[in-house]
Parts: sequence; C-alpha cells; structure tokens
Amino acid sequence: MRWLTLYLRSRRAPIAIPAAVTGMVLMWSLWAGFSDTRTVAVQTVVTTVLLLVVVLTATLGSPDDALEATAAISWPVRRLLHLLAGFLLVVVLLLLTTGTNAEFGPAGLIVRDAAGLLGLTALGAAVAGPARAWFLPLGWTLAAILFPRAEPLAGRILTWQSQAPDSVAAAVVAGVLAAAGLVAYVAGGPARSAPAEMAQA
Amino acid sequence: MTHVLGIELRRSAAIGSALILAVVGALALYFAEGIAFTDGWMQLAMSQRLFLALLWPLALAAGAWQGRREHRWKVTELFATTPRPVAQRMRPVILVMAAAVTVAYLVMGLAGGAWLIGTADYLPAPFFAVTAVGVLALVAAVWLGLAIGRLLPWLITAPALAIAGLGLLLTIPGATRPRGWLALVFSPIYEMNMPDAFATVPGRVSAAQAIWLLALAVTGVLLYAAATWRLRVAALLPVLLGAALAITVMPHGKRVVTGAIDPVAKELVCADQEPAVCLSRVHAGLMPEFLPSARQALTVLAALPGGPTRVHEDTTTYVPTRYAPWDPGVALVRLDTGQDTHLADPELALGDAVAGAFTGPPGCEDAPPLGDQLAAAYWLIGTEPPADGNGAERDRAVDVWHRLKALPGSEAQAKVVALRAAALKCTPGTALFGDAS
Repeated sequence: MRWLTLYLRSRRAPIAIPAAVTGMVLMWSLWAGFSDTRTVAVQTVVTTVLLLVVVLTATLGSPDDALEATAAISWPVRRLLHLLAGFLLVVVLLLLTTGTNAEFGPAGLIVRDAAGLLGLTALGAAVAGPARAWFLPLGWTLAAILFPRAEPLAGRILTWQSQAPDSVAAAVVAGVLAAAGLVAYVAGGPARSAPAEMAQA
Repeated sequence: MTHVLGIELRRSAAIGSALILAVVGALALYFAEGIAFTDGWMQLAMSQRLFLALLWPLALAAGAWQGRREHRWKVTELFATTPRPVAQRMRPVILVMAAAVTVAYLVMGLAGGAWLIGTADYLPAPFFAVTAVGVLALVAAVWLGLAIGRLLPWLITAPALAIAGLGLLLTIPGATRPRGWLALVFSPIYEMNMPDAFATVPGRVSAAQAIWLLALAVTGVLLYAAATWRLRVAALLPVLLGAALAITVMPHGKRVVTGAIDPVAKELVCADQEPAVCLSRVHAGLMPEFLPSARQALTVLAALPGGPTRVHEDTTTYVPTRYAPWDPGVALVRLDTGQDTHLADPELALGDAVAGAFTGPPGCEDAPPLGDQLAAAYWLIGTEPPADGNGAERDRAVDVWHRLKALPGSEAQAKVVALRAAALKCTPGTALFGDAS
C-alpha cells in the first residue's frame, strides 16, 4: 500500500485524477446545461475522451526515469497496469453518465477511442517523452472531430476517432495504435528526459 | 536585437510551431472537405479563415507550450533576480512566436495559391483584409497562449487550452443565436464556409474583427509580460474595450457575410475582339477554355430564327436573390469550376450555352424543363445529348432528343422555335411534347 501511494504520487496522480474528474464534470455540465437533448453529440464525446487521455498523459513519466531504471522492480508489469487503469478510468468516467441528463455514448465508440488515443499517447511517451506525447493525439483528433470523412476508406482510417462505432476500419486503426502504444510503453517505458523537465510538469 | 531574435528563434518552439501549422493548414485546404476555393483568391482567403477552426486552437497550444518554458527549466526565480524589466526580457519570444504563426498562415496561403495561379486573375482588396484578420487571429491566439502558459505552467495547460479553444469556436454560433453578427465579431471562422463565386467580406466586418483580435492580442501580451497581479487585472481592459468597440463597428444584420456579393467580381468581362462572349470578372481566367465552346454555340444559335447572338455567364446569386442582367439576345450559361480550378465539365459547355436560348426571363418559374432545353439545344447542335450528366433531366434530354430526331426536319424546327418563344414569355406548361414527362 505504501509503495502504491508513493508510486501514484511520483506519477502526479493526485493532480491528474482530480483534473480528469473535473474535466469530465465540466463537459457533462456544459452539455446538461446548454443542450436540449440527452444524447451527447459525437464531437463532444470524442473531445471528452481526448481531454481525459491528455490529462492522463501527464502521469506516464516519473521525476527521474534513469534512477527508477536502476531499481530491482519489474517495471513492465507496473506500466501495463498503469495503462489499463488509465483506460478504465476514462471509460468508467464517461459511462457513469448513462442515465443522466447528458449521456456520453455509445460505449463502443468510447472504448475504441479511449484505447486508440491512450495507445497513441503511450507510443508518444515512449518515443518523444510524456511532455511531448500529447502533440499527435491532440492535432489528429481535433482534425478528425472537425472534418470527419466516412468515404473513402482512407477517410475512415485518417478520421477514425469520429467514425461510427461499427466502422471496422476505425476499430482496426484504434486496435493497432492501442497495441503499438501498449507494447512500446510497457517494454521500453517513457523516453528519458532531463529530470528538470519532468520534475514539476 | 536581430542577434537575440535569431537565438530565440532557435531556442523557442517557433520553428516547430510554424511547421506544424503550415503543414496542417495546407493539408486541410486540400483534403479536409474537397477543394472549396477553386473560383478564385477571395475563396482561398475565406477557406483559410475557415480552417482557423483547426489552426487557432493549435496556435493557442503552441503559445501555452512556449509560455511554460521558464517553469519547465526551473529558471523563473533565477530570471526574476535579473535587473532587466520583464517586458524587455519577454520581447524576443513575443516577436518570434508572432512571426512564426504569421509565416505559417502565409505559407498555407501560398500552398493554396499554387493551385489557383493558372486560372484566377481577380485579386480584390478584401482578399488582403480577410488574410490580415486571419493572421491577426493566429497572433492573438499564440500571445494569449503564451500568457496562459506562463500563468498556469502545467503540462496539461497547452492541450487543454487547445480543446477549450476549439470548444469556444464551435459554441460561439449557438451561444449568440439569433444575433449572428455577434458570432461574427468573436469567431474568425464564422460564415466562412463554402464561399460562393461572388462572395466577399464587407470591409466593416473585417474592421470589427480586426479590432477585437487586436485587443485580444494586446491583452495577451500585457498578461504575459505583467509581473504583478494588479497589472494582470489591468491587462483585461484592452479586451473589454476592444469587444465594445468591435460590437459597435460590426453591422448588426443577418447573414452579413454569406449575403454579401462583390459587384466587381460579378461584372462581365468580354473576350478580346469578341464582345459577344463575356464571363464574370472572377471567372475571366477561364475565357481561353470557354471561348471555343461559346463560339461554336453562337454558330449553332445563328440557325435559330431570332436566336441569341451573345453568350454571357449567368451571374445570378440566390442569397440574396440577384438575377443576372437579362436580354432575349443573350444566352446565359452557368459556369462552375471543378476541383482542378478549370471548367467543371468542358464537354457540356457547348450544350449548356446553346440551352441558354431556352431559359425563361429572371425569376420565371414556368421555364421549360431542363431536359427539354437540352434536347432542343442538342437538336440544333446535331449530336445526341450526353447522358452522363446529373441524373434525371439529362436522361430526359436524351429521350426527348430521340423523339425530336424522329420528326421531319421542318416540324422539329417549328417545335424548337415554339419552345424558344414560349420560354421568352414564360408560358406555363411549356414542353417540346405536351405529354412528355
């Protein structure tokens, strides 16, 4: 238990988790307050997933990766659990709104986008470091939210975030990104950055 | 100062931000929704403004990422001990980031312009105003980002700010409804989608938007350079003044931009030594490819007694409804540009120009069906109408043309002449064959 507390603190979870909850509450109340319909628009759902994933990106690095690497601890297992916990947090937070005045859904889309975007940001963290990992998920998803293309197949692949949940192409892209991010981050961990850069991020 | 700027350029996020914005912008112009700016330069400027929906949030994020720098390297306290004023210390990064987004926006414009350079000639003054407002929007965004990134130096500030910026742009139209002009003040992307060939942005609209964005930019700079909370609160003054001023300058009407028409773009420009063929100024660059079809159409129409002797572009616009000048001696033809900025269907131009002889006067709701117009036109031309056009009316044209062809020559000629006469008078129920449907 003590180890877990220290781990969570080193990953800035005491800030990130409340930030994620605040973001979710904010998006929920904006929709509940200003919209006449209960079902939240797809753009808003995808934006919310993106926001939560971006918040969780900040937890993917530690204050001193080089120091951690020297510890006789099995990091891959912990990194795997970290990613799974982050994924569950995103999905559960969004699905908690079922039955309220602003229902975030459908579940298939939330699961797909959460997995894909979390994989993409984990991949970014493994390649470029957690501080820069959000670049690609943010830019890509903003474009996909604004200009979704259901035709042709390349459009479905490039704007997979906002496709209908039954789109096979979008599911495949999300699956590939999730798998790539999972493997890269679990096996390699975050890219080493100067300790000063991550210390107070 | 140049030396300092050079160092700042290399040390800051400026070059990366400029690259990302320029590439994203250029890709959006070509691939986001098809190419919507094939008519001319004004359409390019307006399309660029529309894609600020993507670039504006990214510029906010770029600014916030840069604004967090001192915090990231833990030098805030160290730098605070230097005797130089904060404003002086911030100046290089302010200038460099503004230059980065400006260059990115202009490069995006050049990338779009490369597509237009062969066909578009008409470069109206509002083009520069619309582009300048676009640049100002990005500068305001990046400076505001710098300020917020410095005030809230967290890792998630930049991406969260981008998401908030996008959310803001998307909610402004709904939040200000039914006062669309209010959205026009605060959102640089509002009413910029799918510009018509004769679209323009009134000068007062651009002026009001420039005032608002300038005020926002000034507030961003002041917030960024302010060292005390009193100064930070004072920095909000320009943005409030700017909002008030911009609201007074903005014309308080409906569809101020979508309903605006550029009369100069609509003016007819006739071919050299051939006053019988005229296109609107905005499409004048298409004359070389249109002229052969128009000449052939005039030759064909000479066989029609009392037929048109001139071919003009139909410059009718529908928001608001403004008909092209009408004259029985003129065959009006609509011109559309394809994705390659050239004539959309050059092989249909001849038939469409001849069919212009069978359209009714402006606002006529009883004009002959398009299929009959085309059938008569292609009977005059002497070839079968191409059926690969847009659906039912083109198919009908083929059907009617065959029936016309089956008639003896003089009888068919009489029918075609009667169709023209009825069209000119806008007689209800006019068709080549009464029972044709």
